Amino acid sequence: MAGKQDFQRLDTYTWELPKDHRGDMRVPVRLYADAELFDAAFGDRTVEQLINTSTLPGIVKYAMALPDMHQGYGFPIGGVAGIDAESGVISPGGVGYDINCGVRLLASNLDWEEIEPHRDDLMSALYESCPSGLGGDGRVRVSKRELDDLLSDGASWALNQGLARREDVEHTEERGSLSGADPSKVSQRAKERGLSQVGSLGSGNHFLELDVVQDVYDAEVADAFGLRKGQIVVQIHCGSRGFGHQVCDDYVKSLQGAVKKYDITLPNRQLVCAPIDSPEGQDYYGAMACAVNYAFVNRQVLAMGAREAFERILAGKVHDFNLRQIYDVAHNIAKFETHRVNGETKKLCIHRKGATRCFPPNHEGVPTAYRDVGQPVLVPGSMGTASYVLVGQEKAMELTFGSTCHGAGRTMSRTAARKKVWGHDLREELEDGGIAVRASSMKGLAEEAPLAYKDVSRVVESVDGLGIAKKVARLEPLGVMKG
Amino acid sequence: MQEERFKELEHTADIAILVRGETLAELFANAAYGMACQLTDVEGVPTSMEREIALHADDVEMLLVDWLSELLFLGEKENAVFHDFEMQHVGVKELRAVARGGRIKEHQAHIKAVTFSQMDLRQTGGVYETPIVFDV
Repeated sequence: MAGKQDFQRLDTYTWELPKDHRGDMRVPVRLYADAELFDAAFGDRTVEQLINTSTLPGIVKYAMALPDMHQGYGFPIGGVAGIDAESGVISPGGVGYDINCGVRLLASNLDWEEIEPHRDDLMSALYESCPSGLGGDGRVRVSKRELDDLLSDGASWALNQGLARREDVEHTEERGSLSGADPSKVSQRAKERGLSQVGSLGSGNHFLELDVVQDVYDAEVADAFGLRKGQIVVQIHCGSRGFGHQVCDDYVKSLQGAVKKYDITLPNRQLVCAPIDSPEGQDYYGAMACAVNYAFVNRQVLAMGAREAFERILAGKVHDFNLRQIYDVAHNIAKFETHRVNGETKKLCIHRKGATRCFPPNHEGVPTAYRDVGQPVLVPGSMGTASYVLVGQEKAMELTFGSTCHGAGRTMSRTAARKKVWGHDLREELEDGGIAVRASSMKGLAEEAPLAYKDVSRVVESVDGLGIAKKVARLEPLGVMKG
Repeated sequence: MQEERFKELEHTADIAILVRGETLAELFANAAYGMACQLTDVEGVPTSMEREIALHADDVEMLLVDWLSELLFLGEKENAVFHDFEMQHVGVKELRAVARGGRIKEHQAHIKAVTFSQMDLRQTGGVYETPIVFDV
């Protein structure tokens, strides 16, 4: 078991565990965090899980975790691994169950003063237009055939159905469609679960929030993104629902056989994997990409729901009720990208589990409108606390395969949070603090209490200080909707 | 009653329980009961719904994950929770059981999946035991 003393501090925010710490490590382990968040990483199994990640065949440079890291299963949350696409493996444990859980940010042209008299009605309308809660049906029900098209094409399917605007698609990671999606590699059970949930928020840590831009740190970049102080924005945080969970579940089981077949030694079964170029690895990728596309469409349909709610409540009452998409990013994903490794350009399968892509200025993966400044990065805070908009920096390409943090990161178990907080009390506290709350479960609300999370500002300061992403704006919540 | 059949463990992000049983059948039933108690307060949930379940797997841990996943799937589909189990046969690679439960009004928690994380099913001093981590 590695302790703090086994790590070397390379600079203020970089801590490295050498490869020789454990015999099965293929690369060193790196934690990116300030001293306090580094200490916090030893409060659970984060480090052990990252060491396990460093044993995966084909992993290059180092197994790394970002400052919002915490214990997950297989990989830790906040974990990133770059794996050689020719000789390495792909692992469902490096993506997680909620495939392409992510965040979408929509900006209005309204200020708080204009929206204040309508805030409560607007929150209720959002609650009606954006279905949430356990097992709930979504805004759209698709046929089996439509589902296959949706899985293959992602956001462009939504565009063809009139469920998206062209700029929504342009302003989505991978333009909302991960190539290589193969619906024939998805089980009937996953499809069955997926038919009714398109356009639903779900439960757990997922939310829809009405925010105000409280601070702008970089006026030039904020301007390029279309953000300004005092502006009202909407954040949508959710993923691929039961469909993605089932895809992961199916492949965590079916790839157990591949581990034996290809003679891969793993320290933990949840790290199950298959060679990327094997039939099993290709099958997982094809199915995982379907779940990525499902999640992009899910958030897209919810965005249309948010627009509908804005129109319903605000039409005729404010000068402009439009919501324009700033960006949509994935937090749980595996994808092929080109990176420099020891002076060579290599095709890697980048696993981001609770981590955000953050490409720098002039990168071809950044939408044209933002190409000069870099990719927007959306970092939601815990419920009732601030969220941040960052922008990707060149240093991320050097240090983290173009990745940064994804949120605050939990620090307390759900059970412990429930013991400390009553949902009803928390609701009152948030409402006393000027935040309207709509929640389907008080227990769920308590589990997501801010005290169960790290301080998101501290997490963001670490990635800003490290230089991989720069702060652009801070958002403060005015209304929270929880599943 | 609940405390005897399973114990909740601390986990930063997810739900974890420790289950025991003098036989594999008892462990499997306790694991399913422990999972049901995370989903809802099972007191008062009827046993009017009955499902026969037969599963095969490559090893006993996979069988346990399959068993719990099957119950989750059936529950999600029918908005029900299964909490009463008649384990007809539980071997290392196969099981046959009848699960009984009923529809519920409100879930306390949503379990996305049953994971292999920390799973270590072993027999010590005549008792089978394993932690189980649920992704929520």
